[in-house]
Amino acid sequence: MPYILNTPSQIKEMLEVVGLGSLEELFSHLPPSLRIRGELSLPSGLSEEELIRVVKRLAKKNKPLSKFNSFLGGGIYPHYIPSPLNHLIGRAEFYTAYTPYQAEASQGSLQAIFEYQTYICLLTGMEVSNASLYDGATSLAEAVLMSLRIKRRSKVLICESIHPEYRAVLYTYLKGSDFLVEEIKFNRDGFLDLDTLKEKIDDRVACVCIQSPNFFGLIEDLETINEIVKKKGILVILVTNPVSLAILKEPAKLGVDIVCGEGQVLGRACAWGGETFGWLATKRDYLRHLPGRIVGKTVDREGKESFCLTLQTREQHIRREKATSNICSNHSLNAIAGAIYLSLLGKEGLKKVALYSLNLAYYLYRCLEDIREIKLVFPSPFFNEFVWQVNNSYQVWEALYSKSIIPGLMLEKFYPQLKDCILTSCTEIKTKEEIDDFVICLKEVVR
Amino acid sequence: MKEKIIFRKSQKGRFTDYVTKPQISIFPPSHFIPQRLLREDLNLPSLGEADVVRHYTNLSRLNYCIDTNFYPLGSCTMKYNPKVNEDLANLEEFACIHPYQREEDIQGTLEVLYNLEKLLCEITGMERFSFQPSAGAHGELTGMLIVKAFHSLKREKRFKVVVPDSSHGTNPATASMCGYQVVVVESTKEGLVDIDKLRKVVDSSTAGMMLTCPNTLGIFEEQILDIREIIHSQGGLLYYDGANFNALLGITKPSLMGFDIVHLNLHKTFSTPHGSGGPGAGAVGVRKDLVPFLPVPLVDKREAHYYLNYDLEHSIGKVRSFYGNFPVLVKTYAYLLRLGKEGLVRVAHNSLLNANYIREKLRDNYQLASPKRCMHEVVFSCKDKKEEYGVTALDIAKRLLDYGIHPPTMYFPLVVKEALMVEPTETESKETLDYFIDVMKRIDQEAKTKPSILKDAPHTTFTKRVDEVFAARNPVLKWEESGE
Amino acid sequence: MADRFFSKTHEWVRLEDDSALIGITDYAQKELGDIVFVELPSVGEKLTQFSHFGTIESTKAASDLYSPLSGEVIEVNNDLVNHPEWVNQDPYGKGWMIKIKVDNRDEIVNLLEETAYKSLIEKES
Repeated sequence: MPYILNTPSQIKEMLEVVGLGSLEELFSHLPPSLRIRGELSLPSGLSEEELIRVVKRLAKKNKPLSKFNSFLGGGIYPHYIPSPLNHLIGRAEFYTAYTPYQAEASQGSLQAIFEYQTYICLLTGMEVSNASLYDGATSLAEAVLMSLRIKRRSKVLICESIHPEYRAVLYTYLKGSDFLVEEIKFNRDGFLDLDTLKEKIDDRVACVCIQSPNFFGLIEDLETINEIVKKKGILVILVTNPVSLAILKEPAKLGVDIVCGEGQVLGRACAWGGETFGWLATKRDYLRHLPGRIVGKTVDREGKESFCLTLQTREQHIRREKATSNICSNHSLNAIAGAIYLSLLGKEGLKKVALYSLNLAYYLYRCLEDIREIKLVFPSPFFNEFVWQVNNSYQVWEALYSKSIIPGLMLEKFYPQLKDCILTSCTEIKTKEEIDDFVICLKEVVR
Repeated sequence: MKEKIIFRKSQKGRFTDYVTKPQISIFPPSHFIPQRLLREDLNLPSLGEADVVRHYTNLSRLNYCIDTNFYPLGSCTMKYNPKVNEDLANLEEFACIHPYQREEDIQGTLEVLYNLEKLLCEITGMERFSFQPSAGAHGELTGMLIVKAFHSLKREKRFKVVVPDSSHGTNPATASMCGYQVVVVESTKEGLVDIDKLRKVVDSSTAGMMLTCPNTLGIFEEQILDIREIIHSQGGLLYYDGANFNALLGITKPSLMGFDIVHLNLHKTFSTPHGSGGPGAGAVGVRKDLVPFLPVPLVDKREAHYYLNYDLEHSIGKVRSFYGNFPVLVKTYAYLLRLGKEGLVRVAHNSLLNANYIREKLRDNYQLASPKRCMHEVVFSCKDKKEEYGVTALDIAKRLLDYGIHPPTMYFPLVVKEALMVEPTETESKETLDYFIDVMKRIDQEAKTKPSILKDAPHTTFTKRVDEVFAARNPVLKWEESGE
Repeated sequence: MADRFFSKTHEWVRLEDDSALIGITDYAQKELGDIVFVELPSVGEKLTQFSHFGTIESTKAASDLYSPLSGEVIEVNNDLVNHPEWVNQDPYGKGWMIKIKVDNRDEIVNLLEETAYKSLIEKES
C-alpha cells in the first residue's frame, strides 16, 4: 500500500469514530448512477522496483543530446549547469514546500524569490519584477495584456521575428477578446522593418513587441525603434534572453517599458522544453498592472526584516474576475533555480557564458563563410545563433544526422519564405573540436 | 540564524570557474557588436561556491515543507511527494532532450505521454487530453477557450459564464480573461449550488458553467445531474475544475457526472511537488466532439511509431511554447503506475476517512460550515469565536505554527465567514491527525482563556507575524544597494 | 450632518455650495481593513452618478469606488498616496478622496440619508 500510512486496525478505529461500518459507506450519499461499475480498467500497481524498470525501459528509447553533436537552439539552449544547483533545488524544503502565503512558514522561499526578483531587475535595469510565469511565450502574452490595460487601447503590433511559438500563444490568448494583432515583417537582413513599423503605428496601438536577440539570433536596434514608437505613446515590449543581458545593454536604458522572456537558460535542463519559467519586469509606474505573485520586504512584530507575498489584491484569489491575470501557481521552483544559477556563476561567470557563446557562434559562422556552397542569410550582429542556407538542405540535414550531428533547426516550417534555411546555435558548452568536426562533415556532405 | 540578502555577501574577486575557455581566440563583445548596444557594467554579486551553498541551504531550513510538516490545506491536496518520481523525471534520457529533436529521438518521451493520456482518459472518462497547460488556472484558460471556440464555430452568441459563489478565484478570473461576463449563482444554506437560482440565470446566452465537485466546502453536489441538465438544455458546456478530484478517484468519473471539459491539477491529486508555488500542470481532457478544439500537438501512434499530431481541425492553437511541463508528467505517470487501479480507490477512501475523522472529532469545538457530510475536506467557521472572544481564523491559523502545523486554508470559500478549510489527504497517519485534533482543541481553549496568545501568534517561529500592511503600503520588491 | 448623503456602495458625499466632497464611510473602511493604496482620477475628469472613479485596496480586498453624484473632478486628495491610513483613521475628514463640481443637485434623490444608510449597514452585518 504505497504512501498510505493508516493500518487496517487504525482504519477500523476511525470508521467507528465516524459511525460507519466500511470505507464504502463514505460514498453512500453519491447517486448510484454516477458510480463506476466494477473497477477502473487499469493495471494493478507496480512495486517500486518494477516501476523503475518499466520507466527506464521507456527512457532508453530516447536519444538524448549527449548522443549527438547538437547545434539546436531556437528558444531552449543547453548551458552548463553547475553541480551545486541541482543539490540545492533538490532540497525538500524548496521543492515540497507550498506557495508562501503563510510568510512565517516560508521565509526561505520568500527570500529566494525576492533575490530572484532583484536579479531580474539587475539584468534588465527595470524597477520591478514578478515572481515568475510559466514560460517565455505566456510571459509575452501577459505583457501584452498588461499594456492593453495600461494604455486602454485596442491594437498590438508584433514582429514576425519573434519566436513563432510565442506569437502563436499570443494569438490564442487574445482570442478571448476584440483586440487586434498585426505583424510587422522582418527586412531582407532579418531585422525589424522600420518603414513598416512607421506605417503601422497610430493612436490605437498599445504596444509594439520585439524580440532581441530575435529568433534568428540578430540583435535589434532598440533605440531607434523606441524613438519611432514613443511619439505615439506606444509601449515597447521586449522579449530577450537573460544570458545575453550579461553583455547587451540594459533594456531599461533603451526605452523598453516591459521586458520578458524565457528563463530556462538560467540553470534549467532542456527537458523537451519542460523546465521553463517566464520572467517579466517593468517600470514602477506599472506595478499595479503586473500579473502574478510578487514578494515584498517587510518587518515582523519584532522589527526583524522579513518577506511576504504582497499586492495580492491584483491577483485572482482576491480580485476574482477583475484580477490582472488568472494565474495562481507559477514556476517558482524554476525561478529559484535561476537565482541559484546566477549566484553560482556570479558577475564573472555569467559574462563568460555569454562571451564564450558569442565567440563560438561567430567562430562557426566564419568557418561556414569559407564554404562556397553555404550562404549566410543574415549579417551581423548576432548573439548565439544565426541562419544559413544550403541547397538540398533536407538531404544535408539527414546526412549529418546519420553522423550524429544535429546541424540546427530547419526554418521552413515556421517561415516558408526561408526555404532551405537552418538556424544554428552555439553555447559555451560547445568545443572547438565539435565545431571543427561539424564543419568537416558539412564540407564532405555538400561536395 | 537569518541569512543576509545574498547581494550583501558579494566579495570582489571571488569567482568559481565552472566553464572552460574555448580553444579559439576569444574576442571581447565589442569585436562583434557595436559598442552602443553593449552594457557598461554588470552588477551581479561575486560569490564562491560554498557561499552560495550555505546561503540557500540555510534559507531552505526556514521553510515548512511536506517532508517536515503536516499541511492540512483545503483544496491544495498536499499529499506526500514520492521520491522515486523525482529520480525518474531526472533521468538523463528525459532531461537532456531538446524540444526540436526529431520524433525518432523521442519515442520514449512520446510513449510516456501516450500511455499517460490513456490512463487519465480511463480515470476521467474523457476522450483525449492535452498536457500543455502548466498549472490549474492555465488549464482553466485552455478549457474556457475551447468553450469559446466551440460556440463561435456554431456562430452562437454566448457571452456569460456561470460560477458558484463558492468558486475558487481562478474560475471568474479565467472567464474574464476569455472575455466572458461572470454570473455568480448563490449557494444554498448547506453550501451547494442552488438549483432554482441556477435555472433562473442560465439561458441561451450562457456559454457554460465552471464547477468543482466536491465543491469548495468539501461537499458532493448531489444534484449534479440536474445541474448538467440545466446547462446542456440551453446548449451550454459544463466545465470541471479538478482541484478536488482526490475525493473521487476510482469512485466516479467527470464524464459520468456530465462534464464536457475537465482539468486535473497534477500537483494536487497526482502527487507532483508544489515547488514553493510551481511548476505544476493542469492537464485538460475533453469529451469526443470537443477533441478537434484541443491545443496542438497531441501524441498519436501509427503502427509502432509515436508521433506529434498537429492535425486538429479547430484547434485553439498553443497555450504555451513547446509541449508542457514534461518532468511533471513523468512524475504523474510514475505515480499512476505505482498506485494502479486499487491504489487510486484507496486514495479516495482514505482521504475521505481522514477528513471525516477530523470532522467528527472537532465538530464540538469548531462550527461546521455545512451540516452535510464532507468528502476529502471539511470547512469550519470561526465566526462564533470572533464574536465571543475576538479571535479570528487568522489568529488560530498563526497559532498552529507554534505547534509545527502549517495553517489550513483560511478565508476561503468566501461564502463561509472566518473559514478554515482542512484537507488532511490520504497520506497522513492517524497519529498526525490525532495530534492536529489535540492541538486544535487546545487552541480552542486558549481562545477562551488567553486570546492574546493567539492574537500575537506565532511565538516560536523564527519570523514572527509579518506586517503585510507595511509591505503593501511601501512596496519594496527588490534589494537596492542604497536601501540598507 | 444633514448635508451628508450616502450611496448603497458605501461612499459618502457632503455638499458645499455647488461643489461636493466624496469619500468612503466608516463601515466601508472597517470592512476593508488597513488601507494600503487608493487610486484616484485626475482633475478634470467627468463623472456620472454611480460611475466608477477609482479603486481602494487593503491587504485582503480591493474595491471599486463609485461617485454618488455626477460632476467634474476639481480636486483630488493626493496626500492619500503617502497616507492611505487616513482613510481608516478619519474617513469623513482627512480621508476625503475627491471634490467635484456638482452637475445636478436633484440627483440626491437617488442617495440615502444617514438614518437610511444606518439601517442598510445593520442589515448587511
